[in-house]
Amino acid sequence: MMRAIGRIAEPPPTQTRSAPGAPPAPLGGSVQIRHVDAGSCNGCEVEIGAAFGPVYDAERYGARLVASPRHADALIVTGVVTRNMAEPLRRTYAAVPAPKRVVAVGDCARNCGVFAGAYGVAGAAGDIVPVDAEVPGCPPRPEAIVAAVRELTGR
Amino acid sequence: MSPATPALAAAHSASRFWPGIGAHWGLTWPALAGAGTLALITALFSLAVPRRWRAVVSGAGTALTGLAGAAAGVAAVTGHRSPTLSVPGVLPLSGVTLAVDPLGGWFIAVTGAVAVAVGSYAIGYQGRAASRPSAAVLPLFVASLLAVPAAASAVTLLACWELMALTSLLLVLAEHKRRPEVAVAARWYAIMTHLGLVCVLAGLMLFAAHARGDSFAALARAAPHLSPAVKSTVFVLVLVGFGSKAGLVPLHAWLPRAHPEAPSHVSALMSAAMVNLGLYGLIRVGSGLLGGGSAWWWLLLIALGAVSAVYGILQAAMSTDVKRLLGCSTTENMGLACVGIGAGGLFATTGHPVLAGLALAAALLHVATHAAFKTLLFLAAGSVLHAAGTRDLDALGGLRRGMPATTLAFGWGALAASALPPGTAFVSEWLLVQALIHGLHGASTATAITLPLAVSAVALTAGLAVATFVKAFGTGFLAKPRSAGAAAAHESPGSMLAGMGLAGAACAILALVPGAVLPAIGRAVAAAEVAAASGAGGVVTLRLDGLAGEVSPLLLTVALLIVMVAAAAWLRALPARSARRKARLWDCGGGPLTARMEYTATSFAEPLQRVFDDVLAPETDLDVTHHDEARYLVASAEYRGRVPDRIERRLYEPVLRAVGAWGDAARRLAPGSVHRYLGYGFYAVAGLLIVLAVTR
Repeated sequence: MMRAIGRIAEPPPTQTRSAPGAPPAPLGGSVQIRHVDAGSCNGCEVEIGAAFGPVYDAERYGARLVASPRHADALIVTGVVTRNMAEPLRRTYAAVPAPKRVVAVGDCARNCGVFAGAYGVAGAAGDIVPVDAEVPGCPPRPEAIVAAVRELTGR
Repeated sequence: MSPATPALAAAHSASRFWPGIGAHWGLTWPALAGAGTLALITALFSLAVPRRWRAVVSGAGTALTGLAGAAAGVAAVTGHRSPTLSVPGVLPLSGVTLAVDPLGGWFIAVTGAVAVAVGSYAIGYQGRAASRPSAAVLPLFVASLLAVPAAASAVTLLACWELMALTSLLLVLAEHKRRPEVAVAARWYAIMTHLGLVCVLAGLMLFAAHARGDSFAALARAAPHLSPAVKSTVFVLVLVGFGSKAGLVPLHAWLPRAHPEAPSHVSALMSAAMVNLGLYGLIRVGSGLLGGGSAWWWLLLIALGAVSAVYGILQAAMSTDVKRLLGCSTTENMGLACVGIGAGGLFATTGHPVLAGLALAAALLHVATHAAFKTLLFLAAGSVLHAAGTRDLDALGGLRRGMPATTLAFGWGALAASALPPGTAFVSEWLLVQALIHGLHGASTATAITLPLAVSAVALTAGLAVATFVKAFGTGFLAKPRSAGAAAAHESPGSMLAGMGLAGAACAILALVPGAVLPAIGRAVAAAEVAAASGAGGVVTLRLDGLAGEVSPLLLTVALLIVMVAAAAWLRALPARSARRKARLWDCGGGPLTARMEYTATSFAEPLQRVFDDVLAPETDLDVTHHDEARYLVASAEYRGRVPDRIERRLYEPVLRAVGAWGDAARRLAPGSVHRYLGYGFYAVAGLLIVLAVTR
């Protein structure tokens, strides 16, 4: 089947910088990312899976998902931050060695989305840890996630 | 034979009876007599004094007995000659004959040194709970241990051997009122040690029947005229007897039972001093009295030793009871020493006296190093048992905070037991491997097959020993406490720490300057009549005499320390250049880490258990209980896993079952009817009369 279809990955776009005046990325081309599900509905997780899958293949821009914040340069936070996950999110952020970046993926992580004001909600990701970049959408498209990751890696 | 034998015989005839006051006594006999007298006085005083002072009297007397014994042993191994002592009236038929040569002196010195540490430790360990019998028997046990290597006739040896077995049995039984398992362990020990005695008795009596008299001098004179069949029978019988005392596989079953159940100072004495005497018996009878013999004896001994070493350390690696682990490790170390003794005998029969001397020296050095670190480890384990109330490694942990000195002692002992520099066992195992490797030149087919296998067994044993002692130290003393007892553990009293300190110092001396004891070992090897040379010399650097090979434990340790200090300094200097921050230990962001998240001793050993699955045959059992109303829902699940001793299961259980069935069958003969018993008597007499009438 692969032979019939041929290449399934999206072609690599020409290198662009979304903010042309931004300083060069401090993480230097290779970024290890720890994903924290702070209370998501798993919609964003599916899209992150797609972004790092063979089709959108975010790894070719120097990003990798890793299993521990101790190995990571950046956090991807999805979902509204629930009361039970607020402290673990703070500790995960503290465990990432500096310099570090946090990306809030999805509307819930940005501004609590449809769950704003619900009783178990501690706030958006930005209320708990400092957020450096945001990816809007419910859920965001994989292209948007890849674009945010490319801003981190600078590739 | 060798120059030592005529000298022994001459001394024997010259001092038939007690020598006069002016006779030459040497330094050995006064010290040994002092040890015996001290032991007796201590035993009597321990019976008499009130409970408050009992442990102090018993422990201090035992330490002094050990000190006197060590002095006697040191005098013997430093070349002080002593006359043979013969006391005709003490034992019926043959009397008591005693002589101390450097070989016996080496074992006496090791035993005495162990007893000094154990005696000091016993003061605090027994404390107020010291029972009258166990306090009184302790010095007597030490005295019997000192007497066995001094025996110079078969009957004396057997009498001392039996005294040693009985006193140790009484000491094993010390805590039988508190724990019922003690009685089971003591029963195993009593039966196996006496079966061993029967084998030694049969072997030596067969030997003595072909000699004029039972003194060792007479036996050695008769050995060259014995037929090979008789010699081999004697050797196999004493191998079984002495091998069971040394805990060689498959006669090791008593060892992992008796050692954990005995009080810890007794475990230390048994494991560090008593089992050595099995090796002493093998060297004395096999190499000394029988004078070498055939190559297959020694190949058999090497095979038994190698199997014991690997099997013992595997059982130790699987064990979660810290004292059982140490007991299994005793089997391992005795196995390694047996490889050395076997190689020594093999090289002597194949005409390589230098190699024979080296191999035997390695075995004798290993006896001493094992005694030092096993004393330390058993005393530290006893300290843990004393403080935390459990021997189960899965329930210990976190003792570093409450018992820093004991932790240090066990850590040093664990390092000494794993054959890595600067550990104590490294030196003796290095010598052993050197002897085995150099023996390959010009070897026969059987030797050429055996020696590489023995080297690989020693190497495998060394690797498994590291894993075992990392497990024992890491799960037992580091991390967080897994039970309330371990959390509340407190440091032991000063006398116990002093005992551990003595053993630790002995470990350090043997690890760093083993050259200091090599001249003594050289004399002991020469007395074993295998070879004239010890095969190794030098104080700072150990050199093999006549072979290429040298090692310097002291310089290795210094280099290791320099590297460690440099690495620590570098690591300290490194982050000073960049920002430094304090961070919480990563615990997945959840609550604090608990003791339930730690590696246990069982889980640490699980990968090894998987690797050696075919050898160990672990048993697992899973019971799942379902709800009555919903068969698909699990109410509870119970998992049990254990690693049984496979040799015991295959070899001992059928024998025990057969003996039980035999007993049941015999019971049918005795149903309690007086008429039947009278009938038995009548038929027996009638049958006897008929037999006599027919045969006359």
